[in-house]
Amino acid sequence: MAENILVIGGGPAGMQSATLLADLGVNVSLVERDSYLGGNPKKFKYKFLFPDMQPADNVIGELIRKTETNSNIKIYYSSEVSDFKENGKKFDVTIKSPNGNETKTFDSVIVATGFEHFDPARDAKYSYQLFDDVIDIKDLERMFGEGNVNRPSNGQPPKNVAFILCVGSRDRHVGNQYCSRVCCTVSVKQAIELREHFPDCEVYIFYMDIRTYGFFEDLYWEAMEEHDVQIVKGRVAEITSGPNNTVICKGEDTLLRGPFEIPFDMVVLASGMEGGPQSPEMAKKLGLELDEHGFLKPQNVTLAPFKSNKKGVFLAGACTGPKAISDSITEGGAAAMDAYVYAMKNK
Amino acid sequence: MALEKQEKRLVAEKGEHIIARHLIEDDHIKEEKNLVIDGVDVSGRWNTFITTRVDSEFDRAFFQEIKETVVGSRINRCWQCGMCTASCTVTPLYRRFNPRAFIYMMQLGNLKELKKYVDVAWRCVGCYKCSQRCPKQVNPAEMMEALALLIKKYFPEELEGKLKIDEEVKKIYEDMILGHGRLDLAKLHTSSMQKMGKTKDLIGKIERDAIFKMAKDGRAFSILRLGKPHNWGKSKDAIENYLKNVKTIENEAM
Repeated sequence: MAENILVIGGGPAGMQSATLLADLGVNVSLVERDSYLGGNPKKFKYKFLFPDMQPADNVIGELIRKTETNSNIKIYYSSEVSDFKENGKKFDVTIKSPNGNETKTFDSVIVATGFEHFDPARDAKYSYQLFDDVIDIKDLERMFGEGNVNRPSNGQPPKNVAFILCVGSRDRHVGNQYCSRVCCTVSVKQAIELREHFPDCEVYIFYMDIRTYGFFEDLYWEAMEEHDVQIVKGRVAEITSGPNNTVICKGEDTLLRGPFEIPFDMVVLASGMEGGPQSPEMAKKLGLELDEHGFLKPQNVTLAPFKSNKKGVFLAGACTGPKAISDSITEGGAAAMDAYVYAMKNK
Repeated sequence: MALEKQEKRLVAEKGEHIIARHLIEDDHIKEEKNLVIDGVDVSGRWNTFITTRVDSEFDRAFFQEIKETVVGSRINRCWQCGMCTASCTVTPLYRRFNPRAFIYMMQLGNLKELKKYVDVAWRCVGCYKCSQRCPKQVNPAEMMEALALLIKKYFPEELEGKLKIDEEVKKIYEDMILGHGRLDLAKLHTSSMQKMGKTKDLIGKIERDAIFKMAKDGRAFSILRLGKPHNWGKSKDAIENYLKNVKTIENEAM
């Protein structure tokens, strides 16, 4: 008899786990809270992915197609785990879906509930939602996806755009001390895209550190050397309204040690990643540990980053911390391997 | 005594009455010594105005201008790590000479700030340590040339008092380059010693010994044989032609 494995979350990590396990002949149940697969990348219509600017559809679309067409995967859309009980080394799980409740016994469980974009409205100094021209990276990504990157306020092409890094990250004031890892790279990627889309538009990036780690650095160099994106050191402390329908960024240029108040046509906030409400919810339902940042806590961050404190429950993707899509897919595979080994051992 | 001094001074110094005056730079204080508005005398402290320090625009036109020059073409590469200033030969002597900061001001088109450094911006000695060490190959040494050209263009008046060309030295250099096609260090040394009136030191004991030694092992003759660059005649003509044209243009402008 084939093993039963439950995957919670249909984002990049969850889909990778599900398809790999299904290829091994496992009966996979995939629980997804939305009515579609693809997680945040699909929800916010990511268009091109860093570092190689390949179309998101090549990655996310491909994973969705593979998951949907695999006969070993049963997908529960708009569903959630309503009850979770340990049954010896196995788990009795009730899945609540629009078609009613269904209780099944699973050999192991993979949690891939992902992250939520930080809501910049929570940090009032950035005036997000107050001015139409203050948007964040997920909004801009959606605008690229929809093919309209003109100014939201008047539909005109912007003449100058500012990116503000570390919004909702590395800031005790909003309660997030960690670095969200991808926002720098996403910002320089979008800066390049904007420069390509509007060659006459000036693009500035206000930064404290630019953390385009590893080979993502190539994109940062490209943005400066080939697209004349200007970086300015200093975090912006206030966004106010300016003359001629502009928004003013007020900050300190820490290299010249002087204050600035520069009007921009559009401001893009590089909002970070958060564990979201789903992480504590999962922790409560499944009896997992939460870390001090609001993400699920792995058993050992170095040796077993995809194992939870509970035997038989595995973690994959951004539910354990901010991650790039490539990292999430890698972890999906790694967690699938561990979940499979656990299921085989306790057959 | 003190009283006498006070009586003598009729006009107050600019912004004198401002508490903590030392925190405000001269440029930011506007004060008319004699000003009458609608028949009311508001001279001196009655019209003092402190302008804001806040920068309110980035001037990318300026950045483009530098980028289009040969020496400044890599300005977009600089990420302000400070390797150039750390390597600089001049910075330890003149703290205000900071290549990194100058490049940043050029990137943002901050002429207001650059203007303050008209006197030191010329201090680069061209050792090229910065360009050799720069992690992004910005070539800061040549960027300083771009800066010098720009300062000449934008602040000719400020420059007038700060920079005086010594015609004598200029002639020594020109003759050397046009005559030999290269710098002749021995001649440069001799000329400078002569100019400083230290002709006697040129043939001191150490120098005499050195000349004797170099004549003995043949180095002295190899220096004489160094010669001129290949096809120097053509290059010389071109340079002379160029200098003549520049002079004509300058004269016409006058």
